[in-house]
Amino acid sequence: MISLQLKNSLKFPVTAKCISPDALQDKSLEEIEKLKIWVGNKKKELRELFKIEIRGSEREVIHVYGDLTKVRGIGAEMTMGELTIHGNTGMHLGEEMKGGKIIVYGNTGDWTGSMMKNGTIEIYGNTGNYLGAPYRGLDKGMSGGKIIVHGNVKNEAGAYMQNGIIRVYGSAGQFAGLRMKDGTIYIQKKCGERVGANMRGGKIIVQGFLKSVLPTFTIEDLRDKVKIENEEIIKEPFYLFLGDLAEDGKGKLYISKKKNPHLNFYEKFLEGEKIE
Amino acid sequence: MELIIRNGFVFDPLNKVEGEKMDVFVKDGKIVEKVDECKAKVIDASGMMVLPGGVDLHCHIAGSEVNAGRLLRPEDHFKNFERKTRVTRSGSGHSVPSTFTTGYRYARMGYTTIMNPAMPPLEAKHTHDELNDTPMVDKGSYTLLTDWWFILECLENGKIEECVRYAAWILKATKGYAIKIVNPGGIEAWGFGRNVQSLDDPVPYFNVTPREIIRALCKVNNWLGLPHTIHLHTNNLGKPGNYITTLETMKCVEDLALKDKPVIHITHCQFSSFKGSNWRNLRSGAEEIARYVNNHSHVTLDMGQVIFTNTTTMTADAPFQFTLHQLTGNKWMNHDVETETSSGIVPFRYKRKNFVHAMQWSIGLELALLVDNPWKIFLTTDHPNAGPFTAYPRIISWLVSRKARESTFKKISLKAQRKSLLPSITRELTLYEITIMTRSGQAKVLGLKNKGHLGVGADADVAIYNLNPEAIDPSKDYKEVRKAFRNAVYTIKNGEIVVKNGEITKHVNGATLWVNLQTSEQKLFNEKLKEKFRDYWTVEYENYAVEENRLKISNPINVEAKI
Amino acid sequence: MMEVFKAVTCPVCACLCDDLEVTVDKGKIVDVKNGCAFSKSKLLNYNGKQRVLKPLIRKGNDFAEVSYDEAVKQAAKLLTEANYPLFYGWSMTSCEAIRVGIELAEEIGGVIDTTSTICHGPSTLGIQDVGLVSSTLGQVRHRADLIIYWGSNPLIAHPRHMERYTVFSKGRFQEKRKLVVVDVRETETAKKADLFIRIEPNKDFEVLQALRVLIRDDELDVEKVAGIPVATLEKLAEMMVECKFGALFFGSGLTMTEGKNRNVDAAISLIRDLNRITKFIIMPMRGHFNVTGADMVFTWQTGFPYAVDFSMGYPRYNPGETSAIDILLRQESDAALVVASDPVATLPRKAAEHLVKNPLIVVDPHMSATAKLADIVLPSTFVGIEAKGTAYRMDNVPLPLKKIVEPPTGILSDEDILSKILFEVRRLKENAS
Ligand code: SF4
Ligand SMILES: [Zn+2]
Repeated sequence: MISLQLKNSLKFPVTAKCISPDALQDKSLEEIEKLKIWVGNKKKELRELFKIEIRGSEREVIHVYGDLTKVRGIGAEMTMGELTIHGNTGMHLGEEMKGGKIIVYGNTGDWTGSMMKNGTIEIYGNTGNYLGAPYRGLDKGMSGGKIIVHGNVKNEAGAYMQNGIIRVYGSAGQFAGLRMKDGTIYIQKKCGERVGANMRGGKIIVQGFLKSVLPTFTIEDLRDKVKIENEEIIKEPFYLFLGDLAEDGKGKLYISKKKNPHLNFYEKFLEGEKIE
Repeated sequence: MELIIRNGFVFDPLNKVEGEKMDVFVKDGKIVEKVDECKAKVIDASGMMVLPGGVDLHCHIAGSEVNAGRLLRPEDHFKNFERKTRVTRSGSGHSVPSTFTTGYRYARMGYTTIMNPAMPPLEAKHTHDELNDTPMVDKGSYTLLTDWWFILECLENGKIEECVRYAAWILKATKGYAIKIVNPGGIEAWGFGRNVQSLDDPVPYFNVTPREIIRALCKVNNWLGLPHTIHLHTNNLGKPGNYITTLETMKCVEDLALKDKPVIHITHCQFSSFKGSNWRNLRSGAEEIARYVNNHSHVTLDMGQVIFTNTTTMTADAPFQFTLHQLTGNKWMNHDVETETSSGIVPFRYKRKNFVHAMQWSIGLELALLVDNPWKIFLTTDHPNAGPFTAYPRIISWLVSRKARESTFKKISLKAQRKSLLPSITRELTLYEITIMTRSGQAKVLGLKNKGHLGVGADADVAIYNLNPEAIDPSKDYKEVRKAFRNAVYTIKNGEIVVKNGEITKHVNGATLWVNLQTSEQKLFNEKLKEKFRDYWTVEYENYAVEENRLKISNPINVEAKI
Repeated sequence: MMEVFKAVTCPVCACLCDDLEVTVDKGKIVDVKNGCAFSKSKLLNYNGKQRVLKPLIRKGNDFAEVSYDEAVKQAAKLLTEANYPLFYGWSMTSCEAIRVGIELAEEIGGVIDTTSTICHGPSTLGIQDVGLVSSTLGQVRHRADLIIYWGSNPLIAHPRHMERYTVFSKGRFQEKRKLVVVDVRETETAKKADLFIRIEPNKDFEVLQALRVLIRDDELDVEKVAGIPVATLEKLAEMMVECKFGALFFGSGLTMTEGKNRNVDAAISLIRDLNRITKFIIMPMRGHFNVTGADMVFTWQTGFPYAVDFSMGYPRYNPGETSAIDILLRQESDAALVVASDPVATLPRKAAEHLVKNPLIVVDPHMSATAKLADIVLPSTFVGIEAKGTAYRMDNVPLPLKKIVEPPTGILSDEDILSKILFEVRRLKENAS
């Protein structure tokens, strides 16, 4: 096990893609200590920021301690191993991750799991905007793997999602599932508006309150249960909307009926259908 | 500074030097007969090829359209960057690199002169400001004249002489190097979202046809005595069956040929050599095009070779770009320029396994190999339309080696493999022919007298590659060829060493080449134009022209127009 | 002696009207023809009491007057020592000055950002996602028969926009045009409209998306969108589909309300979709006279239009991460150089607080709110009045800015001041290594 303990609190942005099992596993303590990282516009060695220890032989297990809010890109592109962060982290955690697991006992910044391809990220606190979303200008976000957030997410979670699953046990901001093509997003509590904007496919489940559905979604059905993944089924009524019509989309938007009585005016379209 | 390039194998086709072992002398930025051997710095080029600096007559590297492409595509840049060094500026971009990076990458490949082929007149200042920031190379820009209302109106009224005057005015005002024609008639039609379909399809609201526009501008070009020919992007570009349009286009100026000199350059010809009636039955028209070119001396071509990569398409042919957007669903930029022109941009990925893309790849190479005379077809990718210019070394390897072609051919779409003409072509170009296609021929057709050769008096723009033509067989050792052309051992610009072993050692600003036309009585004419100015444009006459002092280093080519 | 300068480009808003006639008498501007009220007010009154005439360095609560050399030396030292300095502003200076600014930020390894970060940055993000179907303004003047202003109020913010380029202009193919205004309140512009659609605040996204469906003749499940009956939106959709050439101009009413770049994304997507049916263009109504030029120079030199971070020795771009406002709110910068803008007056309070807490250098002709709180103030000329240069109109057309009068004695241009700082920074770095 490799442990990194932050020595002093940080003021300037730090880019530390080297904190990942892939980058550290076959390096000696000395080599790890001398890894170069940028602190603002100055180049430093990893040991100037962290107290580093190696214990036992499990080199693909890393524990990081301290408030890493300023540290960006931890676990980026990692393919294996386990990275546990005891504290908050900054942006781009697990960006383009391909395998392994990241666990955070704290909050994470924007672009967590950005463009992730596989593996798991589990966050016990909150996360920022653009969870799993792509870099500016790209049209492919998360394409596999799993992100679990026990707290809240901000805007554009799962934007441009191609596949994989995002589970949020707290609430979500606006534009969750923006332009998603496939995959699943589950939001347990309150969800911000414009959920599913421009989605073409995939599935979004909102079990909590949603103020309104975009006008470019059309009601399809009232279901008595919905499946999240595998055998996991929520047994309560859900409205099923299809959209986004603006993109000629076939995305599925499941919204809890119980939590959203203000949406029951949509039911008239369903009754109409039955009469036909 | 004085230099002796010792003992290299010199390739200088314009002076009929084919790989002779000899010394080249440089003094004060020029190739000279000899130098003071005690003072001169000596470069040992033994075992290496010594060539004139590379010339590229068609690469979109600067101006509003290119910059819009950069702005559109952060995803093209974020992983493709260059750090600042002690001598260089930083930058980014794979298919649309930032300006400094563009200059450095060309210099590393041994290129020293490049031409930006599409300058909207109203935005010419922008183009020149970017060229000012494109270091290491001499550069110029072609003024887009196609569907400029003044030209269309003159043609409507049959006033060709007035046309000549307008062209002279705008070339000078924009500090242009040549006349660029893009989808004639189609651009004006695009003003209301339409296009033209053939050479004889009338332009909406103007009583003229594409054929008339091409012929008129060809005459204008002759009349003005411009160093280059008209530079033409055909109608129907990128559409199945368009090789007919291309043949007709070349034919339509046959009678305007001046002795043996070319009068028309068909650019990125690959995109205009499609046979078939739809995408599924697309076939190569390369044989027909090449046959015509082999039998006529009034036309030159460049390849527009497709590279299998993620790139950015950008042309003034906005209706074509719209079609491309519809075809791919990719994001799309459009920018029409009042009274003059238009442009469009769509990101594009050429895939090996896509039948159409693979056919396009094949057609480009077929053209280069089926046109017998290397002075008639030049190596380009229409950067970045068919791929970035950094792929030139790869194209060279395909041209000199069947084996190289086969190794890529094996990986392309099977259907394309069945329809491609490539397997039937055995020709392998020599390094001498490559020299013509990548510098000497291009300099010649551009009318750049001091470029593309190493004769006494030429500009001392030299590229030295680590390739021993006596020791290697390009056909077999194509990877060596590719490697050598990727990074010049030395690039010498204006007599100074600017690249060593593929690294930039000195940042220099190349000059901007433009045609300084001398015409009689132009002044009176300009007054007339001034009166109409506000009806056509939304800027003032006084603010339209590019002043010469805007060019960081100005290199006017003086031309006495016959008017 | 009176002198009249013709074809002067107005250095105020991004309409960049270049037809001003400015009369100068004894080195003073005495008359401005053709300009709007903004233009006149700036050109006649720029040289007011607030003008700074000597470089200043803070001494406690006061400023001490120093030479340019001294101020430049101090500024270079502060910037070179910084770990994450910010270079902010750039929308009211020339492209020539911006070029030097970028080189300086690169040399030091700082973050350079423009005022786009607080106005049309979202437009750029929208463009990077879906593109932009646009044209120069003359194309609109000659061809458009339908003009839409969405969340923008040109009669107040860009007073000559309608007269020179749209509704009240005359072109080759069009003289009569319809005007549609979409806004959350009845603006001056809305009063002139053939159709005014007043939508609920922060609901632009919904309306734009609904229009995307309606122009395809598809229907909606709802009866109202953003408080507007669908029938009214259908009317607008029909106008859009039936025009020969439409043009939609949007302002900060779209970019700075809820949804931001996604509003722009939806607007651009709508216009893009319309091009399958007819001809339509869309254009952001950029504010400051050279904010477009800043985008341009940034893009060609670095590959990115704003929010460029050089801290790692190459350009990186990710608004939200590398944008000035976010950096300030996260309190990450430790020095700043502000050129040609007044962030203390325009940024959110918390961002401004962090800005002034750290070493702050201001280059400005005026004692702006930011300058008052700076450590070093380098007075500069007014570009377009006292110095020449280049600016880009909102439609990307470059225009020359002229020098009409002499600056106060000894006052340097932004470009010269920045070049001096750059020179000094290089000297310091050379000495250090
Ligand atoms: S509209 Fe803008 S550019 Fe034109 S005169 Fe008024 S302030 Fe100046
Ligand atoms: Zn081209």
